[in-house]
Amino acid sequence: MAIRRIPKFAYISVATFASVSLAVGLTGCAQSETTPAADTDLKTVTLIAHDSFAMSKELVAAFEAETTYKLEIIKSGDAGAMTNKLVLTKDQPLGDVVFGIDNTYAPIAKQNSIIDGQLTAIDFGDVCLNYDKQWFAKNELPAPQSLADLTKPAYQDLTVLTNPASSSPGMAFLAAAVDVFGEAGYGQYLQALKNNGVKIAAGWEDAYFTDFSGSSGKGPRPIVLSYSTSPAFEIREDGQSQTASVLSGCFRQTEFAGVLSGTDNPAGAQALIDFMLAEQFQTALPDAMYVYPIDKSIALPEAWAEWAPVAENPVGGKLDIAANREKWLKTWSEIF
Amino acid sequence: MAQDLVRNLLKSAALWLLPLGFLVVFFGAPVAQILRIGLFEGNGELPALLGNTLRTFVDPDVQSAIWFTIWQAAVSTLLTLSIAIPSAYVLYKKSFRGQQFYRAVITVPLVLPTIVVAIIFASFQKAHEMYSNIGISFFAENKVYWIIAAHVFINFAIAVRTIGAMWAGLDKAPEEAAELAGAGRLRIFFLVSAPMLRPAIVSAAALVYLFCFTSFGVILILGGGQVNSIETQISIAALQYLDIPKASILAIVQTVITLIAFAVGQRYAAGSTGLDQLADVETGATLDNRDRPALIVTLLFIWGVLVVPILLLLARAFDAPDGLGMQNFVNLASQGERDLLNITVWQAGLNSIRNLVVALLICLPLGMLVSYLTSRRRPARWLDAAFMLPMGVSSVVLGLGYLVTFGHEPLAIRSSWVVLPIVQALIALPLIVRVLQPALQSIEREQLEAAATSGASPWRIWWQLELPLISPALKTAAVFAILVSVGEFGAASLLVAADQATISTVLAQLISRPGGANYGMAMAMSAILVLLTLLLVGLAQFKLNAGLRKALRNNRD
Repeated sequence: MAIRRIPKFAYISVATFASVSLAVGLTGCAQSETTPAADTDLKTVTLIAHDSFAMSKELVAAFEAETTYKLEIIKSGDAGAMTNKLVLTKDQPLGDVVFGIDNTYAPIAKQNSIIDGQLTAIDFGDVCLNYDKQWFAKNELPAPQSLADLTKPAYQDLTVLTNPASSSPGMAFLAAAVDVFGEAGYGQYLQALKNNGVKIAAGWEDAYFTDFSGSSGKGPRPIVLSYSTSPAFEIREDGQSQTASVLSGCFRQTEFAGVLSGTDNPAGAQALIDFMLAEQFQTALPDAMYVYPIDKSIALPEAWAEWAPVAENPVGGKLDIAANREKWLKTWSEIF
Repeated sequence: MAQDLVRNLLKSAALWLLPLGFLVVFFGAPVAQILRIGLFEGNGELPALLGNTLRTFVDPDVQSAIWFTIWQAAVSTLLTLSIAIPSAYVLYKKSFRGQQFYRAVITVPLVLPTIVVAIIFASFQKAHEMYSNIGISFFAENKVYWIIAAHVFINFAIAVRTIGAMWAGLDKAPEEAAELAGAGRLRIFFLVSAPMLRPAIVSAAALVYLFCFTSFGVILILGGGQVNSIETQISIAALQYLDIPKASILAIVQTVITLIAFAVGQRYAAGSTGLDQLADVETGATLDNRDRPALIVTLLFIWGVLVVPILLLLARAFDAPDGLGMQNFVNLASQGERDLLNITVWQAGLNSIRNLVVALLICLPLGMLVSYLTSRRRPARWLDAAFMLPMGVSSVVLGLGYLVTFGHEPLAIRSSWVVLPIVQALIALPLIVRVLQPALQSIEREQLEAAATSGASPWRIWWQLELPLISPALKTAAVFAILVSVGEFGAASLLVAADQATISTVLAQLISRPGGANYGMAMAMSAILVLLTLLLVGLAQFKLNAGLRKALRNNRD
């Protein structure tokens, strides 16, 4: 029986396992979140934000210089997942302050009292249909003007929407449809959409980058559900945007920030919210997060002024989305 | 004698403490927390629990999700196996030009984050829309077809490697005898090889089934939200509706079905086979005419289903917004268009590598320990099953459990980076045990007993006899651990903090933001992952072969 040499990795792995578990144990204890900072250290403000949150290094530095707090940012999924995680962990809050609870989830945040005080509006965005201008010019077809147009035979098989159960623009579209066609009529509208060959993608990314013809994916469908700001990101060499928004039937999403209940640093949390409302942060919002600043006096970037106008009469603002979501989604899933 | 027995029992009990402790603290506790909230909190009384259960099961969406999850996993598994068995034969039992290349190629889909696989297949699906013009719209429109195709794409290598590793080590004599007696290839397989390979085949089937059963990203994206599995229903219930009762009940359903699949697997994996010493392994016989069908199946599949979609991905990586070129790769040193990411993609890569190393250091020794203990003395059934659980439990539930459980002393680790490698090790552990256990069991008892009677201590037998014998299986196990560590997305997306982003969370972020540059960066990063995998697997195989040749030379001397 040939006995082979013991593989070296076997020794190494067992030896390292012991040291790693030790190290893990130690860092685990050392990094405990509840350890209060020593008096001489900067006090940390921990911000819980959704995945789309973006704040440049310069802005973080500006906040830290202005307030002498140290800022830590933890991204926690989309707005829905983030809100629900905050509800689940409200006894030991994940941070001091939250950004990105939108009007869909604000009622849930209130019911579960995860916010200390009020939610503060920071920015807003409009979910609108986008279309590929080049495609419509080439095919000599007029571009759609409203939600109702999507059911016309001329636009058969041209549209891609997103599933409201798995994407927030999809939910916004469903709410817009409920508002425009009424509780009694939206089911009929959805059925007509389906009969007209609308495609449903799981998320915005698939719809926009895989199915839509006007973006980098160069897909087959020239109408997509996106944001009123998207055309500002499709500017071609001739200085023109390849796409445009249908500004009717848009749904407005407003994003809020708030101090988390149970934080040990409410002053720091409030300081961050104040900073978000100040000019420097508000001015940076369009480029950082593709949203409009809540402060109307802030000038928009040049490309936005031309290619990303705000919807004039957004719909759905008065709906109680949290209360009706499940019912609407049932109707949706029965049809699609 | 009695004293010895007691001492042995105590010894193995002590050895069990480490893996069991790990399982209880990092799996049992967080899952129990979520179940407690879901099943007993709120109105808390039994009627509420009953009400929630009823409400969940009468929902037609839930019923169809459960049924779909069960059958799509079964179909995916059968398809994977029926292609993987001839491929394992061609790739591990025989030898032919380009074999190394193909062995490397099939491993690539394994380590691609599932979100990338889903995106690859979504665009591959689009390419099939041309068939609609000639009246065949099935391929472009049938979402289930694409989900199953993606599952086969991801799991093919698992089956091939598990079966191939065992096949290569099998005693060739029975097969050769059957061949001399004039039996055809298929006959030899069904009558001689298959019974000997049963542990590996059943192991592979169980693994693939569980992977497909808990699949999340693929079903979410390719299903377009219209096709739901138990896991996507759990995610929607927990993350969108804060319906923890429904999520908990579904998680239990998922776990129970996992256990049933596991029990069935155990029943049919029983029966031992001989695993000859691997020192005797030589390069396989060259292919002959009768191997042609197996070769054709293998090559058709590898080129048509693995290579073409991967080439599509590589092509997209060079397709930057401002024309063909390297721009997407250059951008990887940035934080994305308009500083979308907190760290650069390279830094995320370093985080992933660190997580991978730590996860491997945790799960490989633990996995060896558990396999060793379970192969030595058949443990209580529940113990065997307990170590399979982390695979069956929804990663969403696990992630939420960590958030709720590890926020306070004594283990306040939920925002520390160590939490990710721990979860990854936990999810990889069942895979590793599944791979190592059959290999250990197939070592002939006589060999071990002979070594024991000649006075070798159990440690010495383990180091010098068993470990070298199972080293191919150990490599496969390491590949699984890498696959889980690099690709794990469900729990990572719930737990990862600001500067701790990993490759897969960064990819998900890049893919979901406007601006072609970000999308291109995701494609470029995926392309690098593909090429890196090819390179590493290729190198590993080259080294292995060099080692084998050297061993053979030494034997002759």
